[in-house]
Amino acid sequence: MSATRLTRILWQVVFLGLFLWLLWRLAEGDPRDYPYPLLHQLDPLSAAGVAAAAGTLPRALAWAGLLLVLTLVFGRFFCGWICPLGTLQQLASFLLSPRSRRESLQVNRWRPWYAIKTYLLAGLLGAALAGTLQTGLLDPLSLAARGLGAGLWPLLPGGRAVPGGWLAAALLLAVLLASRFIPRLFCRAFCPLGALLGVFGRFALFRIERGGSSCSDCQLCRFACQGADEPLGDHRPAECHVCLNCLDQCPEGALAYRFLGRASPDPARPDLSRRYLVGSFLGGLLSAPLLRAAGGGRGTARAELIRPPGALPESRFLDRCVKCSLCQQACPTGAIQPAVAQAGVEGFWTPVVVPRRGGCEFACTRCGEACPTGAIAALAPVRKTGYDGRPPVRIGTAFVDRGRCLPWSMGVPCIVCEEMCPTDPKAIWLDRVEEPGREGRVARLQRPRVEPARCVGCGLCENRCPVGEEAAIRVTSVGETRDPLNRMLLGPPA
Amino acid sequence: MSDPRRPPITRREAVVRLSSATLAAAAVGAGTLGFLDRRVAVAAGAEIRDWRVAPPPGTPPAAAARGGTPSENVRRAVAALGGIERFVRPGETVLLKPNVGWDRLPEQAANTDPQVVAELVRLCKGAGAKRVLVADISCNDPARCFSRSGVLAAAGEAGAEVLDARKLPLVAANLTGAASGLEVIAPLLAADKVINVPVAKHHSLSRVTLGMKNWFGVLGRGRNRLHQDIDRCIAELGATFRPTLTVIDATRVLLDNGPQGGSLDDVKAVGAVLAGTDPVLCDAWGAIQLGVDPRSLGFVAEAEKRGLGRGDPRLVKELGKA
Repeated sequence: MSATRLTRILWQVVFLGLFLWLLWRLAEGDPRDYPYPLLHQLDPLSAAGVAAAAGTLPRALAWAGLLLVLTLVFGRFFCGWICPLGTLQQLASFLLSPRSRRESLQVNRWRPWYAIKTYLLAGLLGAALAGTLQTGLLDPLSLAARGLGAGLWPLLPGGRAVPGGWLAAALLLAVLLASRFIPRLFCRAFCPLGALLGVFGRFALFRIERGGSSCSDCQLCRFACQGADEPLGDHRPAECHVCLNCLDQCPEGALAYRFLGRASPDPARPDLSRRYLVGSFLGGLLSAPLLRAAGGGRGTARAELIRPPGALPESRFLDRCVKCSLCQQACPTGAIQPAVAQAGVEGFWTPVVVPRRGGCEFACTRCGEACPTGAIAALAPVRKTGYDGRPPVRIGTAFVDRGRCLPWSMGVPCIVCEEMCPTDPKAIWLDRVEEPGREGRVARLQRPRVEPARCVGCGLCENRCPVGEEAAIRVTSVGETRDPLNRMLLGPPA
Repeated sequence: MSDPRRPPITRREAVVRLSSATLAAAAVGAGTLGFLDRRVAVAAGAEIRDWRVAPPPGTPPAAAARGGTPSENVRRAVAALGGIERFVRPGETVLLKPNVGWDRLPEQAANTDPQVVAELVRLCKGAGAKRVLVADISCNDPARCFSRSGVLAAAGEAGAEVLDARKLPLVAANLTGAASGLEVIAPLLAADKVINVPVAKHHSLSRVTLGMKNWFGVLGRGRNRLHQDIDRCIAELGATFRPTLTVIDATRVLLDNGPQGGSLDDVKAVGAVLAGTDPVLCDAWGAIQLGVDPRSLGFVAEAEKRGLGRGDPRLVKELGKA
């Protein structure tokens, strides 16, 4: 194995390791302040999508521009050297499919339908421009983090399955299994980030160059080509992952990766049908209102649509959320879950708080720290709790279901919700009553009541309520700080 | 570097490739910097202007006319304040905010009388107003309210643009206190002058509904929570929305079962119209037309406490019958 190849594999191991390690530390609740969303913030697909949907590029995503500039110099090195999903596919391809040389040559040929990824990119950016950000569905970093975090991780001993997680896992596994048949099929044919990098990769200053005189047309360079970019024929820099395997394979030393290397005779732009490209862009544009309508629109607040603390107002939130599931990994109680139906069709896989699974710890602000795009603002704990003197950040309001509550309806003493209530003074207070019970016995009861002006909607009450499947105190989104229209109570005097 | 197998590329090609890569890099840089934090995550609300005009010394803060037709009463009352020209300049856009809340006929006195609205439109047009807009977010279906109240036809004939409440754009405004976070109809914020044209009615919570309460109608969804502390909220709205003029329609007043009414037994023909620049004074006069002592009204006291005006009806210049 050549030093080049060893170096590349080392890079891939390091970045895959970093990706997994950050995800692991995040899920473990490591109190250290690691840059958890680092790799996600370098993602130009997220940056372009958010900029198109929100009309603004959050500062956290600005470094993604640097990756594009580096791509202009070196080509799609991100795909071959950094992308964790690329590395995982390469690994899957290596482990799952011992191929004969003939088969290898066969599967590493370029195919015209690899242009699908560019049409997908056009469609996703069209949709973002029309106001619905869906790049996260196929973004390789989101796809990998979500598949691992929401799908596979919870299956480890001690984990709890996540609603909608199986689909995230299925997508990830399908991507990996596809490499059994065609190496890196996802990268080659479906990855919108790869397509975006390819748009810039065609300008790459460093590229694979074939020395015509010494090449014996032996085709060995195709043997391990990751991008199916035809180093032997009309090399396609827009497809090339810069894995440099071809250099390694060439027995004649006829290939080189050189600054201003000679381009192949054909300028080798991505082979695209202009009609399909425009069609997919328009399709994306039109899909935005459809997706929105299918979910009932963004305008109406929904009871179960409880967003994590610090989440922007719904419309701005959806313009920024890339469905990476990092907030869900970060949540220490498992309260944050990927939405299946709560957020409509366009909000599929965006994070929601499900109090019955976990309460929102009063002073915890990890979800905002993990969010790569600022869809969930990073709050200071004093801001979230309201200890800075301003009203606390609310995500909803708790309501007692008097028909299910033990002291309200069964004559059974219980104070668990009041005990769990973290605000100071408590939003839940106890109304002391004596109630005639069956056969003349007098029951002394403390009935929980909610003072809505103090409730932050954390759901710790709902989470700990001893009344099984459906709690006797439940949180809905009304009163959430982020939506001034989703309120019931009057504000304080001017 | 001079490998005989790899002759260098031509100078021309090198220049083309270097410059196209540089251009692309510049485009990335420009795009990044151009979009960087271009919009703040949460937009600030729009400013609500002060539409008042400083009165010349000697003019009364309010004047009431009675006995004539609604149009005559409007003309006399406005003339007593120095004439509409004092308030509306040529070329301005004026927004009239009548109360067209309900699917009721003029005889039922649940909405502002259409002739009062129409006469104000004619006065503003006569003073050279470029556009006169009429807007209210009704409680019932706006199409029914505007049509059955007669306001759509009368104001339209007089030359106003009667805005379709179902299509009124709502924008975030920098409201404070109780109404903070609510949205306001956009044409109001863009208007040069604003005339508040309520009808005097009974109300089950605030006891009477007049000028300051009429601002509910420019607010969007969520305004119904303002009923939780009605007197404070009415006064806060009075502090937020400062109209050029308040014109109170007491042609017919609704004495009971407000603010919708329905029965003609609850309607009293008073035949008066008041125009004024002090919204608290206007509301105090309106209360008297309903047989209510303004000193007993919580929102009048709240408004006086905030310095929005003086609820002493003796300050009104009564013009008597024509």
